[in-house]
Amino acid sequence: MSALSAHLIEEIKALPARYPQPRSAVMPALDLAQEELGYLTPEAMTEVATALQLDAGYVEGVATFYTLFHLEPIGKHRFYMCTNLSCTLRGAEELVEHLRGAIGVKEAGEVSQDGLFSYEEVECMGACEYAPMCRIDHRYHYDLTTEKLNALVAERRNPSPVQAQAAPPHPPPSAATSPQGGEVKKTRKKKGG
Amino acid sequence: MAEQRGTVGGPVLTEWFARPDLHTLDVYESLGGYSALKKVVTTMTAQQVIDEVKVSGLRGRGGADFPTAMKWSFVPKDHPGPKYIVVNADESEPGSAKDRYLMENSPHMLVEGAAIASYAIGGHQAWIYIRGEYDLPYEMLRDAIAEAHAKGYLGDHPFGTDHALDVRLYRGHGAYICGEETALLESLEGKRAQPRSRPPFPAVKGAWGLPTAVNNVETLSTVPWIIRHGGAEYASRGTEKAKGTRMVTVSGDVQKPGNFEIVIGVTYRDIIEGLAGGMLPGRKLKVFWPGGSSAKVLPASMLDTSTDLDGLKALGTMGGSGGIIVMDDSHCVVKAAARLLRFYAHESCGKCTPCRVGGNWAVRTYDRILANEGSQLELGILERVSDGLQNGRCLCGLGDAAGWVIESTMRHFHDEYEDHCLRHECNVGKALAHA
Repeated sequence: MSALSAHLIEEIKALPARYPQPRSAVMPALDLAQEELGYLTPEAMTEVATALQLDAGYVEGVATFYTLFHLEPIGKHRFYMCTNLSCTLRGAEELVEHLRGAIGVKEAGEVSQDGLFSYEEVECMGACEYAPMCRIDHRYHYDLTTEKLNALVAERRNPSPVQAQAAPPHPPPSAATSPQGGEVKKTRKKKGG
Repeated sequence: MAEQRGTVGGPVLTEWFARPDLHTLDVYESLGGYSALKKVVTTMTAQQVIDEVKVSGLRGRGGADFPTAMKWSFVPKDHPGPKYIVVNADESEPGSAKDRYLMENSPHMLVEGAAIASYAIGGHQAWIYIRGEYDLPYEMLRDAIAEAHAKGYLGDHPFGTDHALDVRLYRGHGAYICGEETALLESLEGKRAQPRSRPPFPAVKGAWGLPTAVNNVETLSTVPWIIRHGGAEYASRGTEKAKGTRMVTVSGDVQKPGNFEIVIGVTYRDIIEGLAGGMLPGRKLKVFWPGGSSAKVLPASMLDTSTDLDGLKALGTMGGSGGIIVMDDSHCVVKAAARLLRFYAHESCGKCTPCRVGGNWAVRTYDRILANEGSQLELGILERVSDGLQNGRCLCGLGDAAGWVIESTMRHFHDEYEDHCLRHECNVGKALAHA
């Protein structure tokens, strides 16, 4: 059984034609795979490589370089918490500590029991005038406080019918077919380099 | 969209930002948008465009400060195949948010600038490499490009001419190093983003091995104004050598953080005490980063320093990407430097040994110092690591920047380092953590 759906493989095969050279399709293809599965499994990366006629090791090499590709389950909603200097000067570290309690995890990368949440500390996301800030479900949230974090968590635990419909224009990658279930899984720390 | 914090109705870039719905083609065009592109493709030669931008004195706003017209003129005119403009929208210098501010307010301004630049180098395609976290700016640019195509301003016959123009988007996936132009090109080609050795320079061998000019968002967003008003009008602002206006982002311990359009030459006091509303009540300025976390710090005593780019270089620092990080007396410089070193170590692409090893060495040393395990030895290690990171030992400037953080904070705040290393105490009223 293949990891990626047949129509997705077809979509990936059509990507190289959009670029002056086919190799540029590798990241957009990994995006599609991650959107379908929630994270990139070795099987998915191999299938992306086959569809693009690239070496599987090469594709994995690209996926491991960039922090927005996830090689482990991340839960349905991932908090990307900026803790670079501008946000830390305004209290980002306390907010991260609060968030751990609010979503019930002990460390970055761990997925909450209900499979809904995980978080990671990230570097500057370019919205320093609104520090402290975070990104979740493809949107930025500004001037964070513990109350605002609580609200972001609560909205996702108990989405009202209106909120459920008012999804962001691009559905979050993991929203549709998260395979995480209730499993608590620790992720290894991933590095850019 | 969140309430915007920054200049609206400024002299150049933010001139139209007070207008609601400026992100739509209708509003942008009603104010004069796309008249520059029309003028360029229907009445000007590529050389005339370059000459006009040369008169303006415009220099690159991504941090390198390189004259824009000169960069374009390096792209070989007689090259037979495709040539590219690549827009560096991978804004990720800590403290810098101005490119996001420009794209969110006026995406068409960037699209128009990128199209004009393509025409100026005799190319037909511009690629905007935008950082993956910028979801909203990506969507706005995507919609803006679609609108411009629908109107016939981009496409095979822009404004009825035969010089095809297109602007395309490529999303990054989280890597600070992509702000470095050759790493960005590697990434655009579908590779791990590791800087290339130069020569060959991108103008000769850039994206997909073809002649390329890589320009920053703000730089290209300035170009339509220069075409509309003339290079001389732009050059009438600013200092003798650093012309025009630029965006700065002010963040940290100020009352009104924001993205401000300044005329180059105003002082940091004008920006921090004026535009950003000064320090929080009861606090005093301690230190500021004048141009992103990679610019050497300046202590409070240097608040009257001019934003003149050459003056900053003479001081050994830089205007960089315009990210001004302001820190007050309630925060510890050693902890701030430790946080930034963690950033540089994390973002090192690993290609050059001094940067790969030195960054991590510095992080481990700071960890010992902050765990009250420091001594004279640690001070010596930091000095040596700082030196080893600098002075062109690496293919790009990431290692240098890491070294500058260590060196400049140690130079201006040696007493704080000594407190931590020799006496195992922090004499700053409050920890870096903010109540």
